[in-house]
Amino acid sequence: MAPTGTQAVLTVEGLRAYYQVNTYGIEREVRAVDDVSLHVNANEIYGLAGESSCGKTTLVKTIAAAIRPPLRVIAGSVSYRFGDRRVGLYDLDGKELAEIRWKHLSYIMQGSMSVLNPLRRVRSSFVDFAFRHIGKPMPEFLSIVETHLKRLHLEPSVLDAYPHELSGGMRQRVTIALATVCRPDFIAADEPTTALDVVVQKSVLAMIRETQRAMGASMMFVTHDMAVHANLSDRLGIMYAGRLVEEGLTGEVFRRPAHPYTAHLIASLPRIGDTHSREGLAGAPPNLADPPTGCRFHSRCPLAMDACKRDVPEMAWISDTHRVACFAAKTGAPA
Amino acid sequence: MLKILRDLLRYNREFAAGVALLSFVVLVAAASFFSPYPAADSFVVPPDLPPSWPHVLGTNSRGQDVFWQLSFAIRNTLLFGFSVAILSRIISLVVGLVAGYAGGMVDRVLMSINDSFIVIPLFPILVLFYFVMRERMSWAWLALAMAALGWAYDARLIRSVALSLRTREFTQTSIFSGMSMRQILVEEHLPYVLPIVFSTTMNNINWSIGLEVTLSVLGFTNVDTPTIGMMIYWANQHTALVAGIWWWIAFPVALVVMTFIGLFLLAVSMNEYIDPRSRLARMGA
Repeated sequence: MAPTGTQAVLTVEGLRAYYQVNTYGIEREVRAVDDVSLHVNANEIYGLAGESSCGKTTLVKTIAAAIRPPLRVIAGSVSYRFGDRRVGLYDLDGKELAEIRWKHLSYIMQGSMSVLNPLRRVRSSFVDFAFRHIGKPMPEFLSIVETHLKRLHLEPSVLDAYPHELSGGMRQRVTIALATVCRPDFIAADEPTTALDVVVQKSVLAMIRETQRAMGASMMFVTHDMAVHANLSDRLGIMYAGRLVEEGLTGEVFRRPAHPYTAHLIASLPRIGDTHSREGLAGAPPNLADPPTGCRFHSRCPLAMDACKRDVPEMAWISDTHRVACFAAKTGAPA
Repeated sequence: MLKILRDLLRYNREFAAGVALLSFVVLVAAASFFSPYPAADSFVVPPDLPPSWPHVLGTNSRGQDVFWQLSFAIRNTLLFGFSVAILSRIISLVVGLVAGYAGGMVDRVLMSINDSFIVIPLFPILVLFYFVMRERMSWAWLALAMAALGWAYDARLIRSVALSLRTREFTQTSIFSGMSMRQILVEEHLPYVLPIVFSTTMNNINWSIGLEVTLSVLGFTNVDTPTIGMMIYWANQHTALVAGIWWWIAFPVALVVMTFIGLFLLAVSMNEYIDPRSRLARMGA
């Protein structure tokens, strides 16, 4: 697969998004996303994994153009292809952005259990958020919503309910229905199933997959839960401390992790019948306000060399579909 | 809504008592529309009669029937309280919601104005206002002045709620879906703060009626519009207590105390309804 396929729906190049705070004259900069390049193909679910505070949410916010100060895009580009139209997300003005959002690009936020206003009926939330983007008269809009809810195995009567009258799983499905009712080309989903127990999670995941397939949408799916990625994602990107460290087909990454961090992440997963205790990784993730030089993983890496402390490893292809940012992987040492 | 009212009346004694007291006060105020005598006329009945038929609350030294005077007075006083409360609520809602939502510079500017209004002493300013206005002083001007002085505490309260609301996911989603600031504030945030506003409205009515009575008793308002404070002012002018005309002072004071207690009970029971924990217990959820 070519590095930037022409069929890519989303192309991110050299993206840097920093939180810049200036409080009482003291400037602080948190480099939450640092030099990330990736692309998402049509009809694909791109999984993004990594531990807490590695910049997953910031990356998703940035590609959904849902950023507010102090978060700023410092460099790089985010561009989409919707049908025949190519748009650079940060070249658009507010009005053009408003046209794209929801209709072409939708965003399921972290903690999406509380996307619904608890004091308003579900119907009002649909009208508030999605009505303007569909551009049809109200009765037609409501029938579209009802058809869509049925597709997600929800009764149309949930429209008359308040969010607290629905169960967690139903609320989650309503939220997903809300994000997909305009049949967007691209869905950015930030931990949409984290608050659910595994049984409900399984059915919601199956539903996300089904909806995405039926609509032919592409998706970026963020979660720290590797088991979810194994089930859902077509391709998987691993982030560490604001950088993408490895990317490949999901099966490939799970079977042959090339980056030592990925290898540890996958080795930490429990397996049925395996009674070995899991080794934790020594140390803590680096402070993104003052990231270490060279490879950001070097202080915790068992394979660290001198070069790792000095130079930043570039993303390099190790097969047609698999790339990694690690000096050890490039020299052929098995991770 | 009707069901909630019925449940509150049935299960909440404070609410029932408050509604009963206020209904009585409103009935007295409504009676003013059937008054046989115009409010401002004096010496239409024999002066200084004790309570007896047909003058149930007696007559005063200015030859007015105390009952009909009282019904005019309580009507004006209630109207005054509601006007001040509604006007100041509008200011505090706008300032509180905008400051909390917009944040940054807007918040800082609005809150420094807000805090100035909290610390300035109200009473001297109102007295000063009377001396500046003098002849032009009227009921409406006083209501405007008090509304302009009485919004600051609640604006801060509303801002604190709005500060939390703007970080919630549904606000983020509203922004993402392209709702304007006005739409977000009116459609998403206003329902959140309305119960709080409803409760503080009761307090604000109490506060404004109390201050109006104080100003009137001291003569710092237009003396021609009958209000509860004005009745007490005229009674003092005619040394009613020394002359033994106790009914001239006792009934206005009793009625305004009933109003205070009624509003207080409503505010208290509303608080119980607003508190999500007690509301959930009541709903059996």
